[in-house]
Amino acid sequence: MKKTGNEMEFELEGEGHTFCNVLRKELLNDPNVEYAAYRIDHPLVGVPVFYVRTKGKDPIEALIDATNRIRKSTEEFMEKFKKAVSEYRK
Amino acid sequence: MEVKLLEYDDNHVRFVLKGSNPAFANALRRIMIAEVPTLAIDEVVFLENTSILFDEIIAHRLALIPLKVDPEFIDAARHEPSKYEVRFYLDVEAKDSPLVVYSGDLKTDDPHVRPVSDLIPIVKLIPGQKLVLEAYARIGIGRDHAKWSPVSACAYKYMPIINIDHSRCSLCGNCVKYCPRQVLSMEKDRVVIKDPLACTLCKYCETVCPNDAIRVRGDDTTFIFNVESTGSLPPDFIVLEAAKILKEKCETFLKLLKEIREEHT
Repeated sequence: MKKTGNEMEFELEGEGHTFCNVLRKELLNDPNVEYAAYRIDHPLVGVPVFYVRTKGKDPIEALIDATNRIRKSTEEFMEKFKKAVSEYRK
Repeated sequence: MEVKLLEYDDNHVRFVLKGSNPAFANALRRIMIAEVPTLAIDEVVFLENTSILFDEIIAHRLALIPLKVDPEFIDAARHEPSKYEVRFYLDVEAKDSPLVVYSGDLKTDDPHVRPVSDLIPIVKLIPGQKLVLEAYARIGIGRDHAKWSPVSACAYKYMPIINIDHSRCSLCGNCVKYCPRQVLSMEKDRVVIKDPLACTLCKYCETVCPNDAIRVRGDDTTFIFNVESTGSLPPDFIVLEAAKILKEKCETFLKLLKEIREEHT
């Protein structure tokens, strides 16, 4: 992991496109984030390398906020899906 | 965000997810395919095999038999998968006539686990051939081997938005005739959208329209999900489990981020 001021680069071992892509998208929804991207060098063996650059905000805070938003929408989805299933069964 | 079920039965669920984004929909899809755990035969000990198939072929065929499991069992087993192992045994011999060995011939001591179908053929034996084996089923995920994937078809498409410019439409009926999914129909003086959900966004109607009066595009905030279970787990459980796994991923990542934040201050 590397971190300098408003930039941060880190590896996400054990993850792939599944989590990295939602994280990237969610980071870009933050107006304080200037740039967010990741790369996987090889589809079989590559570990995703994530890169975030902000407009001054601490990148760790930006990541925490983005992850919290994903968690919230996942919880919302679970709740709505459960409700939809019980409504359908009626 | 809104969720509405379109179809739901023992083996599949079709629902509309409204007010989301492709990244989220795709994360759900990927987790359903590759990260929701199930049970599958993982190790086979052959005691006797005089059939025409090699041991490894039979082992592979056994592994691909979907096993029906108690959903609660899967939820509990997810965090310590190595603790769970179900033993199956098989002992068949063709005596006087040829015999097909089916998945239903697999016996187990565990009352909670059984093959989804008893009619999956494993190998055909001729008189005198014998197959005796012991198989061990373990918990795993689709990322390691497709035999552990709980879904067969699992996909989403964008909600179709079909626009018909009635002022340009000459009522030639081409779009109605050529649409492969019969989405459109012709009423007295206009073309109407009969079944928008069936549209696959192939845009063939755009191609055959001589007046450029029809436009089809996808709404990338609304998704039609189609999840088909192999039968091992209920389809709604698979969807919820996938969401749960995504939530856990977030929580693990948050924990790591907070640790890093402390190191840096």
